Amino acid sequence: MKLVETALVLLIMGIMTIAGNTIGYHLPITEAIIGYLIMLAITLLGIVLAKIIPLKLPMVFWISLIALLSTAPFSPFAKIITEYTNQVNFLALTTPILAYAGLSIGKDLAIFKKMSWRIVVVALVVYTGTFVCATAIAEVMLRFEGVI
Amino acid sequence: MSTLKDWKIHVAALIIVIICELIGTTKIQVGPGVLLFLPMLYAMVLGGILSWPRLKLINVKQMNAASAILGLSTLMLVTKLGLIIGPSLAKLGSSGLALSLQELGHFLGTVILGLPLAIFLGLGRESIGATFSIDREPNIAIIAEKYGMDSPEGRGVMSVYICGTLFGAVWLGLLAGYLAALKIFHPYALAMGAGVGSGSMMAAASGAITAVFPEQANEILMYAGASNLLTTIIGIYFCLFVSLPVTEYLYKILSPIIGKTKTSGGVAK
Repeated sequence: MKLVETALVLLIMGIMTIAGNTIGYHLPITEAIIGYLIMLAITLLGIVLAKIIPLKLPMVFWISLIALLSTAPFSPFAKIITEYTNQVNFLALTTPILAYAGLSIGKDLAIFKKMSWRIVVVALVVYTGTFVCATAIAEVMLRFEGVI
Repeated sequence: MSTLKDWKIHVAALIIVIICELIGTTKIQVGPGVLLFLPMLYAMVLGGILSWPRLKLINVKQMNAASAILGLSTLMLVTKLGLIIGPSLAKLGSSGLALSLQELGHFLGTVILGLPLAIFLGLGRESIGATFSIDREPNIAIIAEKYGMDSPEGRGVMSVYICGTLFGAVWLGLLAGYLAALKIFHPYALAMGAGVGSGSMMAAASGAITAVFPEQANEILMYAGASNLLTTIIGIYFCLFVSLPVTEYLYKILSPIIGKTKTSGGVAK
């Protein structure tokens, strides 16, 4: 996907995010728009870095790195970036994402109809296992480290 | 510009978002816990209904566009989580041991419960592909390279991949909300558990936990984000060098004991 197309797609998603952010979480619209644009700039920067830096690291790595450095205590922009991006609620971001996930479901239904119930049960147990096992280990270790 | 030309899909998504946010979060008491229905869960279901092939509202090309947008839009979540992690880097460091070790739970948790069950249900070698990981795109690549997609392992990984696409987020959202409401686990532990390595599943799980513990929302998202980042980055290597060989080995030991005599097929009806 071209960078311009990526930017436009994320801008369209921004319209939905801000709509949900205003309707569902009653956050100030102007601040949220600025916050979303800051996040968009960071995301695009991460995508570009992943393309030009010849290390085999995923896009997610670069985007996370730029995002967390920009709000880390030593960053000169930390305060202003946090102030605006805090106005974009996390859940408001997730609603458009899962709307698109839902809209793409139809293409998998034909294959799904041919699948046995047994694999569906196995899949749900696989997802349950990864979540519950990690949670249980985290609970024990967080107590051990005295965090909780 | 193929993802932009189909304006219909974007209008549909916008309408879905507005309707779902207007409904808001609903809680239903079930036994000792609570089933939490967040706007994102309605969004997935409404989207799914609109894309039902029999309704002929959305064609396959538009569905593929939606799928491409989905991959891209999860990057915004990654950014949001990175911004939340930034100010708390020191705090994150103080729980470094917990954060690192719980990754073992993410990587091996799929096998521990899933593999014996899959073998017991008679899935044969499909069990290996189905349970060695959470079976998202990078994991499919590992199986494709090692066994090919037209193998039992390939069919196993693809089947769980499709189930994950269809119900992964909804399932984990409900499960995480229910477990959080039971108050057995600390919200920080649940948050780390939520970092399963898939953007939409992590979003649904951590979103549900924040809805149960709104005062600690920022810390929850910080731990979930950090854990998800670790799972994503280390995951591919861990799956290739540890999870897959371990799953193979356990399959050889377990299948003669609990497997049925028929040892192939089982994924299809």
